Amino acid sequence: MAEQQEVVPQEQQHADRELLERAQAGDLAAFEALVELHRDEVYGLALRMTRSDADAAEITQETFLSAYQHLANFRGEAAFGSWVHRIAANHALMRLRHRSVVQEAEEELKGPEFTERDSLAEYPATDWSRRADEKVLDDELRRAIQQATDDLPEGYREVFLLKDVEGLSYEQISEITGDSVPAVKSRLHRARLALREAIDHFYSEK
Amino acid sequence: MFTCKESVDLLLKFLDGEMPEDEARHLEEHLEACPPCVDFLRTYRATPILCRRALQAQMPQELAERLTQFLRQKCHK
Repeated sequence: MAEQQEVVPQEQQHADRELLERAQAGDLAAFEALVELHRDEVYGLALRMTRSDADAAEITQETFLSAYQHLANFRGEAAFGSWVHRIAANHALMRLRHRSVVQEAEEELKGPEFTERDSLAEYPATDWSRRADEKVLDDELRRAIQQATDDLPEGYREVFLLKDVEGLSYEQISEITGDSVPAVKSRLHRARLALREAIDHFYSEK
Repeated sequence: MFTCKESVDLLLKFLDGEMPEDEARHLEEHLEACPPCVDFLRTYRATPILCRRALQAQMPQELAERLTQFLRQKCHK
């Protein structure tokens, strides 16, 4: 039961390839068109990682400048969007590493509770899993999720955002963060458990 | 048969499709007998989907214009 990663649509990949060829030939307007196609994703990643509009704007600039400067080296094995995504993730992580971050204790991560016999102590409030398919997301839920993501300890936030929101592979995240793949998986699992608890708590209060 | 705790610990591996067959079978046996764990699995699976939707962001227009100006300055040959 493998989970599906998000895939760049074929049409977009095709459009990107054409623009990329022109950009690599020196067409700045083509590069700007590529930027316009991908800047929201890059900005979104940077904002989610740093939680700062100012940092996100700077990271977006640094990312596309890096991309421009290395255009000649980009051979197009990956999609252009995936490539700039990884550049952005690197820049965002470097920015976070330069901040003095108070490392929160792992024990502060909430997860499910179990009885002495290792049974679930509390049942999920409701089966809210179907909400994932609804067209419109409740504003209060959106805010609750944003807050819960902000509350995750830094190392867990990064892994969760890079894997579940940005769609990077475990190997890519391992390369970017310097953590082993098993460590990345362990953090992802614990982050998901904590966020699941937060969403469950939201629905139990409704 | 697995306990609820063991089952929860294995959810990521299960959903990633990286579980050996016999282990997956043990987990499925537990799920057949434990409706709360079935709900837990569903909500665990839905968590990243909901979070992705909640966290979508768009670059404000003013910042987008500043980005264009910045790149035109820096990339002009």
